[in-house]
Amino acid sequence: MAYKMPTQKYSGKINEVTIGTDLKIGGESVLPFYSFDGDIGNKPAIGMEIWDVYPESWPEAVLNIFKDVVDDPVKWAKFCIENYNPDFICLKFEGANPDGLDRSPEECAEVAKNVADNVNVPLVIAGCQNSEKTAKVFTKVAEALANKNFVFLSAVESNYKEVGAAVGLAYGNIVAAESSVDLNLAKQLNILITQLGIQPDRMVMDPGCSAVGYGFEYVVTTMDRIRLAALQQNDSTLQVPMILPVSFESWKVKESIATEDDAPEWGSQEDRGVGMEISTAVGVLAAGANAVILRHPRSVEVVRNFVNQMTE
Amino acid sequence: MARFLTIGERIHVISPTIRKALEERNPEPILKRAKEQIDAGANYLDVNIGPADRDGEELMPWVVKILQDEFPETPLCLDTANMKALEAGIKVYDRTAGKPIINSADAGPRLDMVNLAAEYDAIVIGLCAKEGIPRDNDERIMYCTEILERAMEAGLDQENILFDPLFVVVKGMQDKQQEVLEAVRQISEMGLKTTGGLSNVSNGCPKEIRGLIEATFCAMAIQCGLTSAIINPLDKLVMDVIKTADLIKERYLYADSYLEL
Repeated sequence: MAYKMPTQKYSGKINEVTIGTDLKIGGESVLPFYSFDGDIGNKPAIGMEIWDVYPESWPEAVLNIFKDVVDDPVKWAKFCIENYNPDFICLKFEGANPDGLDRSPEECAEVAKNVADNVNVPLVIAGCQNSEKTAKVFTKVAEALANKNFVFLSAVESNYKEVGAAVGLAYGNIVAAESSVDLNLAKQLNILITQLGIQPDRMVMDPGCSAVGYGFEYVVTTMDRIRLAALQQNDSTLQVPMILPVSFESWKVKESIATEDDAPEWGSQEDRGVGMEISTAVGVLAAGANAVILRHPRSVEVVRNFVNQMTE
Repeated sequence: MARFLTIGERIHVISPTIRKALEERNPEPILKRAKEQIDAGANYLDVNIGPADRDGEELMPWVVKILQDEFPETPLCLDTANMKALEAGIKVYDRTAGKPIINSADAGPRLDMVNLAAEYDAIVIGLCAKEGIPRDNDERIMYCTEILERAMEAGLDQENILFDPLFVVVKGMQDKQQEVLEAVRQISEMGLKTTGGLSNVSNGCPKEIRGLIEATFCAMAIQCGLTSAIINPLDKLVMDVIKTADLIKERYLYADSYLEL
Protein backbone atom coordinates (compact mmCIF):
# COMPACT_ATOMS: atom_id res chain seq x y z
CA MET A 1 0.00 0.00 0.00
CA ALA A 2 1.29 3.44 -0.90
CA TYR A 3 2.41 5.61 1.98
CA LYS A 4 0.08 8.45 2.74
CA MET A 5 1.70 11.27 4.60
CA PRO A 6 -0.33 12.32 7.63
CA THR A 7 -1.15 16.00 7.87
CA GLN A 8 -2.04 18.14 10.84
CA LYS A 9 -5.19 20.19 10.26
CA TYR A 10 -6.14 23.15 12.41
CA SER A 11 -9.44 24.92 12.88
CA GLY A 12 -7.90 28.40 13.10
CA LYS A 13 -6.28 30.70 10.54
CA ILE A 14 -4.10 33.79 10.93
CA ASN A 15 -5.68 36.99 9.57
CA GLU A 16 -4.32 38.32 6.33
CA VAL A 17 -3.31 41.95 6.82
CA THR A 18 -2.43 44.30 3.97
CA ILE A 19 0.29 46.86 4.69
CA GLY A 20 0.36 49.84 2.37
CA THR A 21 -1.41 48.98 -0.87
CA ASP A 22 -0.25 45.46 -1.60
CA LEU A 23 2.12 43.98 0.96
CA LYS A 24 0.15 41.10 2.45
CA ILE A 25 1.26 39.21 5.54
CA GLY A 26 -0.31 36.33 7.47
CA GLY A 27 -3.08 34.13 6.10
CA GLU A 28 -1.56 30.82 7.15
CA SER A 29 -3.54 27.96 8.66
CA VAL A 30 -0.56 25.79 9.64
CA LEU A 31 2.60 26.18 11.71
CA PRO A 32 5.40 28.30 10.17
CA PHE A 33 6.70 26.87 6.88
CA TYR A 34 4.66 23.63 7.33
CA SER A 35 3.70 23.62 3.66
CA PHE A 36 3.29 19.82 3.86
CA ASP A 37 0.35 20.36 6.25
CA GLY A 38 -1.55 23.06 4.38
CA ASP A 39 -1.65 26.70 3.39
CA ILE A 40 1.35 28.64 4.70
CA GLY A 41 -0.19 31.96 3.67
CA ASN A 42 1.97 34.86 2.55
CA LYS A 43 5.74 34.86 2.62
CA PRO A 44 7.16 36.51 5.73
CA ALA A 45 8.11 40.10 4.91
CA ILE A 46 11.52 41.65 5.49
CA GLY A 47 11.96 45.31 6.35
CA MET A 48 15.01 47.52 6.84
CA GLU A 49 15.45 49.85 9.76
CA ILE A 50 16.33 53.52 9.26
CA TRP A 51 16.32 56.41 11.74
CA ASP A 52 15.05 59.96 11.61
CA VAL A 53 18.40 61.12 13.02
CA TYR A 54 22.05 60.26 12.57
CA PRO A 55 22.46 56.84 14.27
CA GLU A 56 25.49 57.61 16.36
CA SER A 57 25.17 54.45 18.40
CA TRP A 58 25.44 52.11 15.40
CA PRO A 59 28.68 50.16 15.00
CA GLU A 60 31.12 51.83 12.64
CA ALA A 61 31.09 48.96 10.17
CA VAL A 62 27.33 49.30 9.72
CA LEU A 63 27.47 53.06 9.56
CA ASN A 64 30.05 52.82 6.81
CA ILE A 65 27.59 51.06 4.54
CA PHE A 66 25.13 53.93 4.83
CA LYS A 67 27.61 56.75 5.42
CA ASP A 68 26.61 58.86 2.42
CA VAL A 69 22.88 58.73 3.23
CA VAL A 70 22.39 58.50 7.01
CA ASP A 71 21.98 62.23 7.46
CA ASP A 72 18.79 62.21 5.40
CA PRO A 73 16.02 59.65 5.99
CA VAL A 74 14.66 60.06 2.46
CA LYS A 75 18.02 59.32 0.87
CA TRP A 76 18.62 56.54 3.35
CA ALA A 77 15.28 54.88 2.59
CA LYS A 78 15.86 55.15 -1.17
CA PHE A 79 19.37 53.77 -0.82
CA CYS A 80 18.04 50.70 0.99
CA ILE A 81 15.25 50.15 -1.52
CA GLU A 82 17.47 50.56 -4.57
CA ASN A 83 20.27 48.36 -3.29
CA TYR A 84 18.63 45.74 -1.09
CA ASN A 85 14.99 45.59 -2.15
CA PRO A 86 13.29 45.22 1.25
CA ASP A 87 9.52 44.62 1.44
CA PHE A 88 9.13 47.65 3.69
CA ILE A 89 11.09 50.37 5.45
CA CYS A 90 10.93 50.76 9.21
CA LEU A 91 11.36 54.44 10.06
CA LYS A 92 12.30 54.75 13.71
CA PHE A 93 11.85 58.08 15.48
CA GLU A 94 14.79 57.81 17.80
CA GLY A 95 15.13 61.60 17.60
CA ALA A 96 11.85 62.05 19.48
CA ASN A 97 13.30 60.65 22.68
CA PRO A 98 12.91 63.26 25.46
CA ASP A 99 16.31 62.20 26.81
CA GLY A 100 17.88 62.93 23.44
CA LEU A 101 16.96 65.42 20.73
CA ASP A 102 13.34 65.57 21.91
CA ARG A 103 12.03 66.34 18.44
CA SER A 104 8.45 67.53 18.33
CA PRO A 105 5.65 65.35 16.95
CA GLU A 106 5.16 67.94 14.20
CA GLU A 107 8.78 67.66 13.08
CA CYS A 108 8.49 63.87 13.09
CA ALA A 109 5.31 64.06 11.02
CA GLU A 110 7.12 66.15 8.41
CA VAL A 111 9.97 63.65 8.18
CA ALA A 112 7.51 60.77 7.87
CA LYS A 113 5.55 62.54 5.16
CA ASN A 114 8.74 63.26 3.23
CA VAL A 115 9.87 59.66 3.36
CA ALA A 116 6.42 58.33 2.46
CA ASP A 117 6.16 60.70 -0.52
CA ASN A 118 9.51 59.60 -1.91
CA VAL A 119 9.47 55.82 -1.59
CA ASN A 120 7.38 53.11 -3.21
CA VAL A 121 7.31 50.57 -0.39
CA PRO A 122 5.11 50.67 2.73
CA LEU A 123 6.40 52.07 5.99
CA VAL A 124 6.46 50.74 9.50
CA ILE A 125 6.69 53.66 11.90
CA ALA A 126 8.51 53.00 15.16
CA GLY A 127 8.69 55.27 18.18
CA CYS A 128 11.28 55.95 20.83
CA GLN A 129 11.88 54.42 24.28
CA ASN A 130 9.34 56.73 25.92
CA SER A 131 5.81 55.39 25.41
CA GLU A 132 4.10 58.65 26.35
CA LYS A 133 6.10 60.61 23.77
CA THR A 134 5.70 57.82 21.25
CA ALA A 135 1.92 58.13 21.50
CA LYS A 136 2.12 61.87 20.80
CA VAL A 137 4.46 61.31 17.85
CA PHE A 138 2.23 58.55 16.44
CA THR A 139 -0.83 60.78 16.62
CA LYS A 140 0.81 63.43 14.42
CA VAL A 141 2.54 61.00 12.09
CA ALA A 142 -0.64 58.95 11.60
CA GLU A 143 -2.49 62.16 10.75
CA ALA A 144 0.17 63.10 8.18
CA LEU A 145 -0.01 59.60 6.70
CA ALA A 146 -3.77 59.12 7.04
CA ASN A 147 -5.29 56.00 5.46
CA LYS A 148 -1.94 54.75 4.17
CA ASN A 149 -2.32 51.37 5.90
CA PHE A 150 1.10 51.77 7.47
CA VAL A 151 2.03 49.90 10.63
CA PHE A 152 2.71 51.79 13.86
CA LEU A 153 5.07 49.92 16.13
CA SER A 154 3.69 49.98 18.70
CA ALA A 155 0.86 50.32 21.18
CA VAL A 156 1.80 49.12 24.66
CA GLU A 157 -0.27 48.64 27.82
CA SER A 158 0.35 52.23 28.96
CA ASN A 159 -0.54 54.01 25.70
CA TYR A 160 -2.78 51.67 23.73
CA LYS A 161 -5.87 53.88 24.10
CA GLU A 162 -4.20 56.96 22.66
CA VAL A 163 -2.32 55.06 19.96
CA GLY A 164 -5.32 52.90 19.06
CA ALA A 165 -7.68 55.86 18.83
CA ALA A 166 -5.34 57.95 16.66
CA VAL A 167 -3.57 55.37 14.51
CA GLY A 168 -6.37 52.85 14.10
CA LEU A 169 -9.65 54.70 14.50
CA ALA A 170 -9.03 58.31 13.45
CA TYR A 171 -6.37 57.96 10.75
CA GLY A 172 -6.84 54.54 9.18
CA ASN A 173 -3.49 52.92 9.84
CA ILE A 174 -2.49 49.58 11.39
CA VAL A 175 -1.83 49.22 15.09
CA ALA A 176 0.87 46.87 16.36
CA ALA A 177 0.19 45.59 19.87
CA GLU A 178 3.39 45.12 21.80
CA SER A 179 3.79 43.10 24.97
CA SER A 180 7.00 41.98 26.59
CA VAL A 181 7.20 38.22 26.23
CA ASP A 182 4.05 37.56 28.26
CA LEU A 183 1.52 35.26 26.68
CA ASN A 184 -1.48 36.34 28.71
CA LEU A 185 -0.70 40.02 28.42
CA ALA A 186 -0.29 39.62 24.66
CA LYS A 187 -3.80 38.22 24.47
CA GLN A 188 -5.18 40.81 26.88
CA LEU A 189 -3.73 43.72 24.91
CA ASN A 190 -5.21 42.37 21.68
CA ILE A 191 -8.60 42.13 23.39
CA LEU A 192 -8.34 45.67 24.75
CA ILE A 193 -7.39 47.07 21.35
CA THR A 194 -10.27 45.32 19.59
CA GLN A 195 -12.58 46.59 22.34
CA LEU A 196 -11.63 50.12 21.24
CA GLY A 197 -13.34 49.26 17.96
CA ILE A 198 -10.31 48.28 15.87
CA GLN A 199 -10.98 45.34 13.59
CA PRO A 200 -8.72 42.30 14.12
CA ASP A 201 -7.58 42.45 10.49
CA ARG A 202 -6.32 46.00 11.06
CA MET A 203 -3.84 44.86 13.71
CA VAL A 204 -0.50 43.14 13.98
CA MET A 205 1.34 42.15 17.13
CA ASP A 206 4.84 42.21 18.55
CA PRO A 207 4.84 39.66 21.36
CA GLY A 208 8.25 40.89 22.51
CA CYS A 209 11.66 40.21 21.06
CA SER A 210 15.15 39.59 22.36
CA ALA A 211 18.45 38.65 20.77
CA VAL A 212 19.54 35.01 20.74
CA GLY A 213 21.10 34.16 24.07
CA TYR A 214 19.12 36.80 25.94
CA GLY A 215 16.04 34.96 27.14
CA PHE A 216 15.36 33.98 23.54
CA GLU A 217 13.80 30.64 24.58
CA TYR A 218 11.00 32.62 26.24
CA VAL A 219 10.43 34.60 23.07
CA VAL A 220 10.20 31.42 21.02
CA THR A 221 7.93 29.51 23.43
CA THR A 222 5.68 32.56 23.76
CA MET A 223 5.37 32.82 19.98
CA ASP A 224 4.81 29.08 19.67
CA ARG A 225 2.04 29.08 22.22
CA ILE A 226 0.40 32.11 20.62
CA ARG A 227 0.36 30.32 17.28
CA LEU A 228 -0.92 27.07 18.77
CA ALA A 229 -3.74 28.90 20.56
CA ALA A 230 -4.62 30.69 17.31
CA LEU A 231 -4.56 27.52 15.20
CA GLN A 232 -5.51 24.64 17.50
CA GLN A 233 -7.93 26.45 19.80
CA ASN A 234 -9.15 28.80 17.09
CA ASP A 235 -8.53 31.75 19.43
CA SER A 236 -9.55 34.74 17.32
CA THR A 237 -7.88 37.20 19.70
CA LEU A 238 -4.50 35.75 18.72
CA GLN A 239 -5.04 35.22 14.99
CA VAL A 240 -3.00 38.35 14.38
CA PRO A 241 0.20 38.43 12.27
CA MET A 242 3.38 38.90 14.27
CA ILE A 243 6.06 41.47 13.42
CA LEU A 244 9.40 41.25 15.22
CA PRO A 245 11.84 44.17 15.37
CA VAL A 246 14.88 41.91 15.41
CA SER A 247 17.47 44.61 14.75
CA PHE A 248 16.29 46.72 17.71
CA GLU A 249 17.49 43.92 19.98
CA SER A 250 20.28 42.16 18.15
CA TRP A 251 22.38 45.30 17.64
CA LYS A 252 22.43 46.35 21.27
CA VAL A 253 23.88 43.23 22.91
CA LYS A 254 27.57 42.94 23.73
CA GLU A 255 28.28 40.45 20.94
CA SER A 256 27.31 43.17 18.47
CA ILE A 257 28.65 46.29 20.18
CA ALA A 258 31.99 45.16 21.64
CA THR A 259 34.66 46.55 19.33
CA GLU A 260 37.57 44.50 18.08
CA ASP A 261 39.80 46.44 20.49
CA ASP A 262 37.54 45.46 23.39
CA ALA A 263 37.37 41.79 22.44
CA PRO A 264 40.06 40.86 19.93
CA GLU A 265 39.46 37.12 20.53
CA TRP A 266 35.88 37.46 19.21
CA GLY A 267 36.94 38.47 15.70
CA SER A 268 35.17 40.86 13.32
CA GLN A 269 32.53 43.01 15.00
CA GLU A 270 30.53 43.28 11.82
CA ASP A 271 30.42 39.51 11.37
CA ARG A 272 29.34 39.05 14.98
CA GLY A 273 26.54 41.58 14.68
CA VAL A 274 25.31 40.09 11.42
CA GLY A 275 25.49 36.61 12.97
CA MET A 276 23.38 37.71 15.94
CA GLU A 277 20.87 39.41 13.65
CA ILE A 278 20.50 36.45 11.30
CA SER A 279 20.22 33.85 14.08
CA THR A 280 17.58 35.90 15.88
CA ALA A 281 15.59 36.50 12.69
CA VAL A 282 15.62 32.87 11.60
CA GLY A 283 14.62 31.82 15.13
CA VAL A 284 11.57 34.06 15.26
CA LEU A 285 10.58 33.21 11.70
CA ALA A 286 10.59 29.53 12.59
CA ALA A 287 8.40 30.39 15.60
CA GLY A 288 5.80 32.18 13.50
CA ALA A 289 6.95 35.74 12.76
CA ASN A 290 5.18 37.14 9.69
CA ALA A 291 7.57 40.08 9.33
CA VAL A 292 11.03 40.93 10.65
CA ILE A 293 12.93 44.20 10.79
CA LEU A 294 16.66 44.03 10.02
CA ARG A 295 19.52 46.48 9.80
CA HIS A 296 22.45 44.98 7.91
CA PRO A 297 22.24 44.31 4.13
CA ARG A 298 23.98 40.97 4.55
CA SER A 299 21.30 39.89 7.06
CA VAL A 300 18.60 40.93 4.61
CA GLU A 301 20.17 38.83 1.90
CA VAL A 302 20.64 35.71 4.03
CA VAL A 303 17.21 35.89 5.68
CA ARG A 304 15.54 36.43 2.31
CA ASN A 305 17.30 33.35 0.96
CA PHE A 306 16.16 31.39 3.98
CA VAL A 307 12.55 32.49 3.53
CA ASN A 308 12.63 31.75 -0.19
CA GLN A 309 14.05 28.29 0.30
CA MET A 310 11.50 27.50 2.99
CA THR A 311 8.52 28.72 0.98
CA GLU A 312 9.26 28.01 -2.68
CA MET B 1 -9.60 19.98 23.44
CA ALA B 2 -12.74 21.70 22.19
CA ARG B 3 -14.53 24.32 24.25
CA PHE B 4 -17.61 23.39 26.27
CA LEU B 5 -20.72 23.53 24.09
CA THR B 6 -23.73 25.46 25.40
CA ILE B 7 -27.24 24.84 24.11
CA GLY B 8 -29.72 27.61 25.01
CA GLU B 9 -33.01 26.21 26.32
CA ARG B 10 -35.27 29.23 26.22
CA ILE B 11 -37.25 28.56 23.04
CA HIS B 12 -39.53 26.02 24.65
CA VAL B 13 -43.20 25.33 24.16
CA ILE B 14 -43.65 25.16 27.94
CA SER B 15 -43.27 28.95 28.02
CA PRO B 16 -46.69 30.54 27.42
CA THR B 17 -45.13 33.28 25.28
CA ILE B 18 -43.42 30.78 23.01
CA ARG B 19 -46.45 28.47 22.88
CA LYS B 20 -48.61 31.35 21.72
CA ALA B 21 -46.04 32.55 19.19
CA LEU B 22 -45.71 29.05 17.74
CA GLU B 23 -49.48 28.64 17.52
CA GLU B 24 -49.95 32.01 15.86
CA ARG B 25 -46.81 31.70 13.71
CA ASN B 26 -45.66 35.00 15.16
CA PRO B 27 -41.85 35.25 14.73
CA GLU B 28 -41.24 38.25 17.02
CA PRO B 29 -41.24 36.63 20.50
CA ILE B 30 -39.21 33.68 19.22
CA LEU B 31 -36.59 35.86 17.52
CA LYS B 32 -36.37 38.02 20.63
CA ARG B 33 -35.56 35.04 22.82
CA ALA B 34 -33.11 33.76 20.25
CA LYS B 35 -31.26 37.08 20.16
CA GLU B 36 -31.07 37.30 23.96
CA GLN B 37 -29.51 33.88 24.12
CA ILE B 38 -27.07 34.47 21.25
CA ASP B 39 -25.97 37.78 22.79
CA ALA B 40 -25.42 35.94 26.07
CA GLY B 41 -23.07 33.53 24.29
CA ALA B 42 -25.10 30.38 23.59
CA ASN B 43 -23.43 28.18 20.94
CA TYR B 44 -26.59 26.32 19.86
CA LEU B 45 -30.26 27.16 20.35
CA ASP B 46 -32.70 24.45 21.34
CA VAL B 47 -36.09 24.73 19.63
CA ASN B 48 -38.70 22.76 21.52
CA ILE B 49 -42.07 22.65 19.77
CA GLY B 50 -43.53 19.96 22.05
CA PRO B 51 -45.13 16.79 20.64
CA ALA B 52 -46.79 18.88 17.86
CA ASP B 53 -48.83 15.89 16.73
CA ARG B 54 -51.17 18.00 14.68
CA ASP B 55 -48.93 20.34 12.68
CA GLY B 56 -45.29 19.50 13.58
CA GLU B 57 -44.29 18.79 9.98
CA GLU B 58 -45.25 22.30 9.06
CA LEU B 59 -44.31 24.03 12.32
CA MET B 60 -40.70 22.81 12.64
CA PRO B 61 -39.59 23.98 9.14
CA TRP B 62 -41.29 27.31 9.78
CA VAL B 63 -39.45 27.95 13.02
CA VAL B 64 -36.11 26.69 11.60
CA LYS B 65 -36.45 29.08 8.68
CA ILE B 66 -37.35 32.18 10.68
CA LEU B 67 -34.44 31.57 13.05
CA GLN B 68 -31.88 30.81 10.36
CA ASP B 69 -32.94 33.76 8.21
CA GLU B 70 -32.34 36.09 11.14
CA PHE B 71 -29.37 34.34 12.77
CA PRO B 72 -27.49 32.42 10.05
CA GLU B 73 -24.45 31.96 12.27
CA THR B 74 -26.21 30.09 15.06
CA PRO B 75 -26.85 26.35 14.66
CA LEU B 76 -30.01 24.79 16.06
CA CYS B 77 -31.03 21.85 18.18
CA LEU B 78 -34.41 20.53 17.02
CA ASP B 79 -36.42 19.29 19.96
CA THR B 80 -39.60 17.24 19.61
CA ALA B 81 -40.72 13.65 19.94
CA ASN B 82 -42.37 13.94 16.53
CA MET B 83 -40.02 12.22 14.11
CA LYS B 84 -41.75 13.53 10.98
CA ALA B 85 -41.46 17.08 12.31
CA LEU B 86 -37.74 16.55 12.92
CA GLU B 87 -37.22 15.22 9.43
CA ALA B 88 -39.11 18.15 7.91
CA GLY B 89 -37.05 20.57 9.99
CA ILE B 90 -33.74 19.01 8.98
CA LYS B 91 -34.72 19.13 5.31
CA VAL B 92 -34.91 22.91 5.33
CA TYR B 93 -32.00 23.37 7.75
CA ASP B 94 -28.95 25.29 6.45
CA ARG B 95 -25.84 23.72 7.95
CA THR B 96 -23.40 26.54 7.17
CA ALA B 97 -23.06 27.33 10.87
CA GLY B 98 -22.99 23.70 12.00
CA LYS B 99 -24.89 20.42 11.86
CA PRO B 100 -28.35 20.27 13.41
CA ILE B 101 -28.72 18.46 16.73
CA ILE B 102 -31.66 16.12 17.19
CA ASN B 103 -33.09 16.24 20.72
CA SER B 104 -33.45 13.42 21.46
CA ALA B 105 -33.09 9.68 20.98
CA ASP B 106 -33.34 7.15 23.80
CA ALA B 107 -32.87 3.42 24.17
CA GLY B 108 -36.62 2.85 24.03
CA PRO B 109 -39.32 4.08 21.68
CA ARG B 110 -37.10 6.88 20.32
CA LEU B 111 -34.16 4.71 19.30
CA ASP B 112 -34.97 5.34 15.62
CA MET B 113 -33.90 8.95 16.05
CA VAL B 114 -30.36 7.56 15.82
CA ASN B 115 -31.12 6.34 12.30
CA LEU B 116 -32.59 9.70 11.44
CA ALA B 117 -29.35 11.38 12.55
CA ALA B 118 -27.31 8.91 10.49
CA GLU B 119 -29.46 9.43 7.41
CA TYR B 120 -29.20 13.23 7.54
CA ASP B 121 -25.66 13.55 8.95
CA ALA B 122 -26.93 15.23 12.11
CA ILE B 123 -25.82 15.17 15.73
CA VAL B 124 -28.15 13.38 18.14
CA ILE B 125 -28.63 13.59 21.88
CA GLY B 126 -28.86 10.06 23.26
CA LEU B 127 -30.81 9.85 26.50
CA CYS B 128 -29.47 6.97 28.57
CA ALA B 129 -33.02 5.95 29.41
CA LYS B 130 -35.78 3.65 28.23
CA GLU B 131 -38.85 4.34 30.32
CA GLY B 132 -38.61 7.17 32.83
CA ILE B 133 -35.49 7.80 34.84
CA PRO B 134 -32.91 4.99 34.83
CA ARG B 135 -32.70 3.12 38.13
CA ASP B 136 -28.92 3.18 38.49
CA ASN B 137 -25.73 3.52 36.51
CA ASP B 138 -25.79 -0.09 35.35
CA GLU B 139 -28.98 0.80 33.51
CA ARG B 140 -27.54 4.08 32.25
CA ILE B 141 -24.48 2.41 30.79
CA MET B 142 -26.60 -0.39 29.29
CA TYR B 143 -28.80 2.16 27.51
CA CYS B 144 -25.75 4.12 26.45
CA THR B 145 -24.34 0.95 24.89
CA GLU B 146 -27.63 0.16 23.15
CA ILE B 147 -27.67 3.61 21.56
CA LEU B 148 -24.04 3.22 20.55
CA GLU B 149 -24.73 -0.17 18.95
CA ARG B 150 -27.61 1.23 16.97
CA ALA B 151 -25.41 4.12 15.85
CA MET B 152 -22.72 1.71 14.64
CA GLU B 153 -25.27 -0.29 12.67
CA ALA B 154 -26.62 2.89 11.14
CA GLY B 155 -23.17 4.27 10.35
CA LEU B 156 -23.34 7.23 12.72
CA ASP B 157 -19.95 8.20 14.12
CA GLN B 158 -19.82 8.35 17.93
CA GLU B 159 -18.51 11.93 17.55
CA ASN B 160 -22.06 12.81 16.52
CA ILE B 161 -23.77 11.57 19.68
CA LEU B 162 -24.13 13.55 22.89
CA PHE B 163 -24.99 11.09 25.64
CA ASP B 164 -27.32 12.46 28.29
CA PRO B 165 -27.17 10.48 31.55
CA LEU B 166 -30.30 12.35 32.68
CA PHE B 167 -29.63 14.93 35.34
CA VAL B 168 -32.03 14.68 38.27
CA VAL B 169 -33.48 17.21 40.67
CA VAL B 170 -31.45 17.91 43.78
CA LYS B 171 -34.53 18.72 45.82
CA GLY B 172 -35.89 15.23 46.32
CA MET B 173 -33.16 13.20 44.64
CA GLN B 174 -30.16 14.47 46.53
CA ASP B 175 -28.89 10.93 47.04
CA LYS B 176 -28.65 10.41 43.25
CA GLN B 177 -26.43 13.39 42.40
CA GLN B 178 -23.09 11.65 42.87
CA GLU B 179 -24.35 8.73 40.83
CA VAL B 180 -25.19 11.01 37.89
CA LEU B 181 -21.75 12.61 38.06
CA GLU B 182 -20.22 9.14 38.15
CA ALA B 183 -22.22 8.25 35.02
CA VAL B 184 -20.77 11.32 33.27
CA ARG B 185 -17.32 10.08 34.24
CA GLN B 186 -17.93 6.54 33.02
CA ILE B 187 -19.37 7.66 29.68
CA SER B 188 -16.53 10.15 29.23
CA GLU B 189 -13.96 7.49 29.95
CA MET B 190 -15.39 5.54 27.00
CA GLY B 191 -14.29 8.50 24.85
CA LEU B 192 -17.86 9.66 24.29
CA LYS B 193 -19.35 13.14 24.40
CA THR B 194 -21.97 14.06 26.98
CA THR B 195 -24.69 16.60 27.65
CA GLY B 196 -27.57 17.18 30.04
CA GLY B 197 -30.33 19.56 31.02
CA LEU B 198 -28.92 21.70 33.82
CA SER B 199 -32.28 23.13 34.86
CA ASN B 200 -33.38 19.61 35.82
CA VAL B 201 -31.01 19.80 38.75
CA SER B 202 -32.44 22.97 40.26
CA ASN B 203 -36.09 22.34 39.42
CA GLY B 204 -38.43 23.49 42.18
CA CYS B 205 -35.77 25.44 44.06
CA PRO B 206 -36.20 29.16 44.83
CA LYS B 207 -35.39 31.25 41.78
CA GLU B 208 -32.51 33.11 43.44
CA ILE B 209 -30.50 29.95 44.10
CA ARG B 210 -31.21 28.01 40.91
CA GLY B 211 -28.28 29.55 39.05
CA LEU B 212 -25.90 28.76 41.88
CA ILE B 213 -26.97 25.14 42.05
CA GLU B 214 -26.76 24.75 38.28
CA ALA B 215 -23.36 26.44 38.07
CA THR B 216 -21.92 24.31 40.85
CA PHE B 217 -23.29 21.07 39.44
CA CYS B 218 -22.03 22.03 35.99
CA ALA B 219 -18.50 22.74 37.25
CA MET B 220 -18.43 19.40 39.05
CA ALA B 221 -19.78 17.62 35.96
CA ILE B 222 -17.19 19.31 33.72
CA GLN B 223 -14.47 17.90 35.92
CA CYS B 224 -16.08 14.47 35.36
CA GLY B 225 -15.83 15.05 31.60
CA LEU B 226 -19.11 16.73 30.63
CA THR B 227 -18.65 18.30 27.17
CA SER B 228 -21.90 20.24 26.76
CA ALA B 229 -25.12 21.20 28.53
CA ILE B 230 -28.57 22.52 27.82
CA ILE B 231 -28.71 25.70 29.82
CA ASN B 232 -30.27 29.08 30.37
CA PRO B 233 -27.54 31.31 28.89
CA LEU B 234 -29.14 34.40 30.40
CA ASP B 235 -27.91 33.19 33.76
CA LYS B 236 -24.57 34.98 33.85
CA LEU B 237 -23.28 32.97 36.80
CA VAL B 238 -23.72 29.71 34.88
CA MET B 239 -22.04 31.15 31.78
CA ASP B 240 -19.14 32.61 33.77
CA VAL B 241 -18.57 29.36 35.63
CA ILE B 242 -18.52 27.44 32.33
CA LYS B 243 -15.96 29.88 30.89
CA THR B 244 -13.87 29.59 34.02
CA ALA B 245 -14.06 25.79 34.06
CA ASP B 246 -12.90 25.77 30.42
CA LEU B 247 -10.05 28.03 31.46
CA ILE B 248 -8.96 25.70 34.24
CA LYS B 249 -9.23 22.79 31.80
CA GLU B 250 -6.82 24.78 29.58
CA ARG B 251 -9.20 24.76 26.65
CA TYR B 252 -8.17 28.32 25.81
CA LEU B 253 -5.54 30.82 26.82
CA TYR B 254 -6.04 33.05 29.85
CA ALA B 255 -6.38 36.84 29.55
CA ASP B 256 -7.70 39.21 32.24
CA SER B 257 -10.79 39.97 30.13
CA TYR B 258 -11.69 36.33 29.44
CA LEU B 259 -15.22 36.73 30.81
CA GLU B 260 -15.91 39.49 28.29
CA LEU B 261 -15.28 37.28 25.28
